[in-house]
Amino acid sequence: MAVRSKDTRPMIDRYRWWEVVLIYAGIFVFLFFMLAPFIEGFLVSLKPLSQLFSSPYKFWPENGSFKAYYTMWVSVPRFGRYIFNSFLISTVATIIVLALVVPAAYAFARFNYKGMALVLGGFLAVSMFSGAVLLIPLFRLMRTLGLLNTYFAMIVPGVAFLIPSAIWLLRTYMMRIPTELNEAAYMDGASQFYTFRRVILPIAAPGIVVVAITTFIGAYAQQFIFALTFNSKSDYMPLPVGLFAYFGKQDVIWNELMAASFVGIAPALVIIFFLQRYLVGGLTAGAVKQ
Amino acid sequence: MGQLSLKNVIKTFGDFEVVKNVSLDVQEGEFIVFVGPSGCGKSTLLRMIAGLEHTTGGDIVIDGKRVNDLPPVKRGIAMVFQSYALYPHMSVYENIAFPLRVEGAPEAVIRKKVNDAAAILHLDERLHQRPGQLSGGQRQRVAIGRAIVREPEIFLFDEPLSNLDAALRADMRIELTRLHKQLGATMIYVTHDQIEAMTMADRIVVLHGGDISQVGAPLELYHKPQNTFVAGFIGNPRMNMLPARCMGVTANGVQISCQGQSVTLPVAPRAGLEGAEMLLGIRPEHVTLGQGDLTLRATPNVIEQLGQQTIGYASLDGREENFLFVLSGTRGIEDDKPISLGFAAADCHLFDSTGAALERQVDIAAMTAPTL
Ligand SMILES: Nc1ncnc2c1ncn2[C@@H]1O[C@H](COP(=O)(O)OP(=O)(O)OP(=O)(O)O)[C@@H](O)[C@H]1O
Ligand SMILES: [Mg+2]
Repeated sequence: MAVRSKDTRPMIDRYRWWEVVLIYAGIFVFLFFMLAPFIEGFLVSLKPLSQLFSSPYKFWPENGSFKAYYTMWVSVPRFGRYIFNSFLISTVATIIVLALVVPAAYAFARFNYKGMALVLGGFLAVSMFSGAVLLIPLFRLMRTLGLLNTYFAMIVPGVAFLIPSAIWLLRTYMMRIPTELNEAAYMDGASQFYTFRRVILPIAAPGIVVVAITTFIGAYAQQFIFALTFNSKSDYMPLPVGLFAYFGKQDVIWNELMAASFVGIAPALVIIFFLQRYLVGGLTAGAVKQ
Repeated sequence: MGQLSLKNVIKTFGDFEVVKNVSLDVQEGEFIVFVGPSGCGKSTLLRMIAGLEHTTGGDIVIDGKRVNDLPPVKRGIAMVFQSYALYPHMSVYENIAFPLRVEGAPEAVIRKKVNDAAAILHLDERLHQRPGQLSGGQRQRVAIGRAIVREPEIFLFDEPLSNLDAALRADMRIELTRLHKQLGATMIYVTHDQIEAMTMADRIVVLHGGDISQVGAPLELYHKPQNTFVAGFIGNPRMNMLPARCMGVTANGVQISCQGQSVTLPVAPRAGLEGAEMLLGIRPEHVTLGQGDLTLRATPNVIEQLGQQTIGYASLDGREENFLFVLSGTRGIEDDKPISLGFAAADCHLFDSTGAALERQVDIAAMTAPTL
């Protein structure tokens, strides 16, 4: 009897054993470099402070505990407030970006007008500046507008720098929605706005979620620099600046700092975890025959 | 109502004239088919009638009213796209209901109309599925359903069946013909498929480079093409064209010499043709083995056996182009052996040097059951 192969993978997906070993080794190295800081950070958060400076240094915590996760709230009582601020700034920034970018991306994807390439190129050019280069002009601008030491000082520049990449991302997604759908809706008597709301928005939903996630993460990462320069009110401080509170006069409470970092990003992780459920692909399946 | 007139309609894209001066009258309830080679402006013309494309010049008149500047809904027109253009995030029910929702029709009316349309199109079982879960034919039916709920007076179809496989296309063809009878609406249909054009149309409009080449009933186009373009375009395989010279004109027809033989063709005579270069057209299916009014010696290069037909590609002395012949049934013809091919003078078409046909003396009404 002929030998039957149980392997159902297509030929192009089959590898020799040593190819498999190499692939996994590559993945391991890559992942290790990416995750090592997180692993070390987590281990540090479990160690008592005294053990951190022992030599020889031990990676594995002896009598490790989650104690730092309790004491961090005591040493910096306002920490909850910082998390809330971070969250607020990023959420408001994301909402503003989406409100502006969704219609803009649709317009860029569907309508052709003179100078469109220029505007799009301009957006790309702007996104090449990081906020840091423009801090001083921005500072003067904020002062003139009287926005220093408000939430807006951290939200507005963040939004400005997040818009270009969001527009590009969403425009590409929307260009893949077939124009026949617009024409069909037009034939059926729908107005531009009705078509946008009832046809384009639902189909673009996965793209919008992607943009929301990247914008949220971007706003989270960006707020540090704006908070540091444009805000001196500790009530409005976001998480990354708030972490400085663990830098005492004499020494740094490293284990609580690490614990606080992990607690601080947890809400963002939860949000992203819920949003990514909506990242289902293939929503346009069946719209048109390609 | 659903009477449509095109009056000297022109469309240019930049400097490029895509539709040149097209005039056409479509009667209420008629099934009109646009055919023509790729890029001749069929879709553009259809989209102008629909109101998707701006009309550069001329008038589009529906039921006596000029509609050039009206949006599609106000024209009372619905269109079915080649690519279906269904809304992928909506159920079949919602897809069909879409035009009614736009109108703001009451829920009860929507339910009734959608269910009626679904019944006509055999989609009752599918109403709660998404387009992505349907087969090609079902999707096309949903697209048609979306068109019929609005009860338009004129339906436009742009190659609606070209994405379907042959068997499904045959089924849908019959369903569309049935639908046309049932609704009694005017339909304008663009297709590449000759069988669709011949079987569904009341009249066929042959477009060529943005111009109307000929308008007529399918059999009229087949039996009396007005020019070489229509003669070559309608009928499959294409008509054979042989160079000929006019020898004389009599009351019975035109005497020509072709391939060294002289024969009188029964076509409407015209003065001043004597000595002129002409083209003789003969359809492959009118060629038989053996002698005819005109007989050619030919050597078949390729023989295609289809069972019900035998198609041959033969070379004639002194001509590069293949001479096609179609014999009914299975015939054991060997390639590369010379044979005699004959055909009757009555089956021949004759064209003058400008490509215009001399009218053949055939009575189409005598061949077919009278229409309309
Ligand atoms: N938006 C446009 N801008 C410029 N030229 C166009 C545009 N749309 C169509 N054309 C040109 O008009 C001509 C006719 O196009 P059209 O789509 O009407 O052809 P068609 O007869 O439908 O062809 P097919 O059978 O391939 O669908 C083509 O040469 C095409 O290049
Ligand atoms: Mg076309």
